[in-house]
Amino acid sequence: MHLVSIEVSNFRNLKGVFCFEQGLNIIFGENGQGKTNCIEAIYFLATTRSFRTTNLSEMIAFGENFLSVSGKVVVSKEIQKEIEVRLEGKRKSFLVNGKKVKVNEYLENLDAVIFNANELEIVRGSPEARRNFLDSGITAIYPAYLRTLLDYNRCLKQKNALLEEAQKHDTAFDKVATMIEPWNEQIVSLASRIHKLRVRYVERLSKALQNQFFNNEFIKIRYVSSLEGKGDLSNYSSTLRERLSLRLGAEIAAGHSLVGVHRDDLEITVNDRDLKKFGSSGQQRSALLLLLIAKIEVYRQQNGYYPLFLIDDIDSELDYERISKLLELLEGKTQTFVTTSKTSFLDKFASKGKIITLKRGEVFSQSLTK
Amino acid sequence: MLEYSEPIAKLIDEFKKLPGIGQKNAQRLVFFILRKSKEDVESLAKSLLEVKEKIKICSVCNNLTDIDPCFYCTSPDRDRSVICIVEEPYNLVAIEKTRSYKGLYHILHGALSPIRRIKPDDLKLSNLFPRLKPENNQMITVKEIIIATNPTTEGEATAHYIANLIKPLGIRVTRIATGMPVGSDLEFVDEVTMDKALANRHEI
Ligand SMILES: [Zn+2]
Repeated sequence: MHLVSIEVSNFRNLKGVFCFEQGLNIIFGENGQGKTNCIEAIYFLATTRSFRTTNLSEMIAFGENFLSVSGKVVVSKEIQKEIEVRLEGKRKSFLVNGKKVKVNEYLENLDAVIFNANELEIVRGSPEARRNFLDSGITAIYPAYLRTLLDYNRCLKQKNALLEEAQKHDTAFDKVATMIEPWNEQIVSLASRIHKLRVRYVERLSKALQNQFFNNEFIKIRYVSSLEGKGDLSNYSSTLRERLSLRLGAEIAAGHSLVGVHRDDLEITVNDRDLKKFGSSGQQRSALLLLLIAKIEVYRQQNGYYPLFLIDDIDSELDYERISKLLELLEGKTQTFVTTSKTSFLDKFASKGKIITLKRGEVFSQSLTK
Repeated sequence: MLEYSEPIAKLIDEFKKLPGIGQKNAQRLVFFILRKSKEDVESLAKSLLEVKEKIKICSVCNNLTDIDPCFYCTSPDRDRSVICIVEEPYNLVAIEKTRSYKGLYHILHGALSPIRRIKPDDLKLSNLFPRLKPENNQMITVKEIIIATNPTTEGEATAHYIANLIKPLGIRVTRIATGMPVGSDLEFVDEVTMDKALANRHEI
C-alpha cells in the first residue's frame, strides 16, 4: 500500500498536486516554503489529525472557510482508491472514491506515524507521553480500545469531580464511599482491560525490538504498573479494587484520584540503564527511532501493511550516521517522507529517493522517478 | 454587520436556546416562520402552549402524560411484577417500539454526572421505593427491576448506584447488556438491537 499523490485546497500555504515515490521522498526547501505543511497535509489525510495543533481550523488558508486534502492510494496492483478529507470550520467529512463515509471506515485506508521534536517527549518527558505512545499504538491495531480509554478518562473525570467536592465540603466518609463506588466499579473493569492490553502490546513491541540496534545500543522496555509491589498483578482487577478502597481516604484528602492505570509508565533502558536519566541525547533519539520502528512492525503484523513514516526536519534531530541506519532499516518496508532544508543532506541521500523541491507552497522541481 | 430588527433578533435568540440550534439554523427557522400563513403560526404557538399546559409528569412512574397516573401505570394489560428503569421518556418510546416488553416503567429524568452536578437527589428515584410495596401496586409483588439506563459511563454508574439500593430488598435486579454499542445512547439504538438487549439482560 502506498500514497501516489495528494492534492490540496486551502491547506495553509500549499497549492496544487504533489506526487510521491513508493520508497523514500525527500521534501526539500528553504524555511517557510511549505515542507512541514506538506507532511502535515499527508498526516492529516492519513489520520484526520495534525501533529502540530489540536485546533485544526488553523490549517485552513487565511481568508478561506474550508480546506480539503485528497489522495490516490494504491492498495494492491488492481485496487486504487481516491480518499479525501475535508474540514469546514471544525467539521470534518470523509470521502472514499467520491462517496461519503464514516470516520472509522475512512481510517481503514491509510495510517501514518510521525517522528519530530515533540515525539522526543516519549524518551525524555513525562510518563504521560509514554502512555500516549502505547495507547496510540494499541488503538491503531485495535480500534475498539479507544472507547475503553475514553470511558476510563470519563470515569476518572467524574470521580475527580466527586473527590474535589468531598474535600471542599468535608463530606462524611461513608457518603463519599457510596457515591464513588459506581465509578470505581467501572474504573476497575476498564483499567483491567487497559492494563491487560498495554502489557500485551509491550510484549509485542519487545519482540519487535529484538535484534534492532544502533551502535550496539540495545533497547529494552517494560510496562510498569503503578500497582507494582502492592499486590498480585496476575489478578489485576481484585488487586486494583482492594487498592482503591484502601486509598479512598487519601484520595478524598488529595481531592483527586491517586490509583489507576493513569499513573502507570513504560520503562525504557539502554544497555540496562534508565534511558531518561542516563541516556545521552543521541541514545534517546536512537531509542525513539527503534520504538517507532517496533511500533510500525507490530502494526504490520496486525494490519498486513506498514503505515506511512514521516520525519519532519530530519537532520536537525538526527546525525547522518543515524539517518543512514534508519533509512536502511526502513528500506523496502515503509513509504517514507522526510523534510530537510540542507543541501548537504541531498548530497548524501539524493540517490536513495525522490527529491521534491518546494517554493512558496508549490512543487518547484522534482527529481525523475527511478 | 447589519442587525436584524428587534422582533426577528428576539426570536432568533429564543430559537438558539433550543438544543442543537445555532445562529444559522435559528435564522433559517425565523425566515421559515415569516413565510408561513398567520393560521399556521397560530397553530404552532398554540401547540407550544398546549404541550406545556397539558403535559405533566406521572406521579407514579415520572412518564410525561396528559393523564395522571399515566397510560402504562393504569393499563390492565401490563405485567405489574416488572419495572424497567430508563433515563428519559424517549427511552421508554424506544423500548415500547419493540413490543416485547409488557411491564411497567420508571423514568429517572437523567443520569448521575458529578461533572454536571447531577447527584442522586436530582434523579426522580425516591418515588420508586413506595412502588415496590404490594399495597401500592394493586397487591402485586415486584419480582424484577430491569435497569435500562444508557450504556454510557453515566448510565452505568446510575445502574450500579440503583442496584446497590435495591439488592438489599431482595428483588432481582438485571441490566440490559449484549448487543448494545458501548458508549452509545439508547435513543439511537434500533429496535432489533433493543429487542436483543432486553432479552439478554443479566443480573448485577
Ligand atoms: Zn406512569
